[in-house]
Amino acid sequence: MKALLKLCLMVLALCQANPAAAHAVVTDYSLKMQPIRANRPDKVVITFNSRIELGLSQVFLVRKGDTHELLKIGNGEKQGQLIVEVPALEPGDYAIKFKVFAADGHLTEDVIHFSVAQ
Amino acid sequence: MAGIADFLDSLIGGLDLICFCLMVGSLFWGLFVLRPWERQHGYNAVHLDTTITLLYKGGFYLAGAQLFKIVLKVWLMTAVLERWPFPEFASTTQFIGGAIRTVLALAAAFYCQHILRAHAESKAHWIAASLVTLPVIISGAWLVHAAGRFDNRVMLMSLTVAHQLAAAAWIGGVFQLVNVWLLRYRGQIQADLWPFLLKRFSIFGMASVSLLLISGAPIALQYITTWNGLVGTGYGNLLMVKIALLSLALGLAWLNRNAVLAYGISGDPSHLNRSVPYYIEAETFILITLLFTAASLASQPPAIDIPSLTANWQEVLGTFKPAIPRTTSPTHTALIAGEAGRVAIIGQVPSIAATEWSNYNHNIAGIFLTVMSFFAMLSYLKSPAPFLDRFFESIKFWPFGFVLLGIFLFFRSDAETWPLGPIGFWESTFNNGEVLQHRIATLLVFVLGVIEIRARMQSNQNPRLPLVFPVLAAFGGLMLLTHSHVGFQAKSAFLIQVGHTAMGVFALILATGRWLELKLDKPGKDIAGFVSVAALFQMGLILMFYREPLY
Repeated sequence: MKALLKLCLMVLALCQANPAAAHAVVTDYSLKMQPIRANRPDKVVITFNSRIELGLSQVFLVRKGDTHELLKIGNGEKQGQLIVEVPALEPGDYAIKFKVFAADGHLTEDVIHFSVAQ
Repeated sequence: MAGIADFLDSLIGGLDLICFCLMVGSLFWGLFVLRPWERQHGYNAVHLDTTITLLYKGGFYLAGAQLFKIVLKVWLMTAVLERWPFPEFASTTQFIGGAIRTVLALAAAFYCQHILRAHAESKAHWIAASLVTLPVIISGAWLVHAAGRFDNRVMLMSLTVAHQLAAAAWIGGVFQLVNVWLLRYRGQIQADLWPFLLKRFSIFGMASVSLLLISGAPIALQYITTWNGLVGTGYGNLLMVKIALLSLALGLAWLNRNAVLAYGISGDPSHLNRSVPYYIEAETFILITLLFTAASLASQPPAIDIPSLTANWQEVLGTFKPAIPRTTSPTHTALIAGEAGRVAIIGQVPSIAATEWSNYNHNIAGIFLTVMSFFAMLSYLKSPAPFLDRFFESIKFWPFGFVLLGIFLFFRSDAETWPLGPIGFWESTFNNGEVLQHRIATLLVFVLGVIEIRARMQSNQNPRLPLVFPVLAAFGGLMLLTHSHVGFQAKSAFLIQVGHTAMGVFALILATGRWLELKLDKPGKDIAGFVSVAALFQMGLILMFYREPLY
């Protein structure tokens, strides 16, 4: 029985899988109410359900063809808020892709799609 | 290597909880169940030594797990962020809390190994051990789900620690019961200690479960505020799995308690010695799975935070709706053609071929399991006529279906990777957590079939070989319970997860049923065997009716 318990733990170590969803999720973002206007730099505020470690987080602008551009980020006024500096964009479809490290130790990757109108 | 780092990161959470339970549960066991200072019960040196060995080993393993967690986080962040995460990581709660907890666990384990062990019968030293372990328990508060929350943070952290403490008291106690049975089995302790400690633990276990529920309920109510949140999110779904596993474990605990009470009335220890140890083994299976499920739950966003991504109960029920299984597959060319659009970020195009490919895989796997469970049921019957004798003799090898299923999954699981697709075997295995899980599951299914066939051969002389089947089936269940589906929208990923977690629970029932069938005498043996096969049949049905969302 003891050997079997050891075997159980060893195989468990091989079998554990990783959950897709992580703890930090977006609860709100400013693009819902304030779309980005064409050809002028702007800021996007993303609100998370958890505290975020800013120094260990990255936010990218994704353009057509899935090219990535690293964006500057800062802390928002409220806890769990990130302010993302978005460069001047031409009309079209884009996405903000982020990799954030939540205070509970989980890394989260997700995407927010948006469009820039003329 | 991000895939393997991510995979290991999530597994270590479960191992960390197991080590915590072993350490803290053993401490509670000594303080409240064993009470070595009450010498009249006749504990001997071997008994006390093995008890304390489990305690301090749990502490050292916990320190190791905590340290490994930090190393993995560094590895994972380096892989994901593509840069060295220091000095920023050094100032995070995870790093500071993890490092402190590592040191505290080492100190507590060291005390128990060198001081408590030398004074095993001293009440003062047991109390001192608990005081030394207390900071380890408290430090865990900064490493849980609640640490990153904004509302009711302190309350949630405190409740989570209380919840962990209750779980450790119960599960660690079960580990100690296994130890007591082994000592009893080998004749290293007095025979009457087994029923005596069972009875004491029965009362202690009920108190632990009560605390588990009292501390768990407010946490659940804080994170889940609607019925849809319970049935329609990953968090709620895994919580329901935890409740289901808890119910299964409590059912076995209830059987143990009945046996103890019956012994108290009749004085006949046969049931205590011939059934209870195996109920405890099965309970151990379930409780270990429960801990890994709890670790997975900690990485799910609470239902309260994702109202727009919550499925309603009709959508959840829809995933189990009977349908004609898909028995034709799209071509591999059609599948690959749709992959670029499917994985694109801008201009994503859902791939019908990918969805149908997946439906075909799941439905065929379901047909495999349903047919296997049918033959498994037949194998319990006697041949009705002489000309059918050979047939009835051969259907006991129904697990051969697992071998075929393993081969099928090897070729079909991840069509974009080797052997069918352009992505190399090692590259896909170690860079994609989902592919890695599929590879392990495929190997598990294949090995399960091979070993079980070997175990059923008349030439098999190894009495332990049949036990491998339930063990591997339990691990398969664990994988299903924690399996992830990346690349889907959160709601779709959840709707896929629902079927997989249901199968995970059935896989665990299959495993524990088979385990008890191999260990118990009639009639318990037959009941357990039937339950086991019925669970396999249910898994077959879920897979056969599987339909993947197209987004």
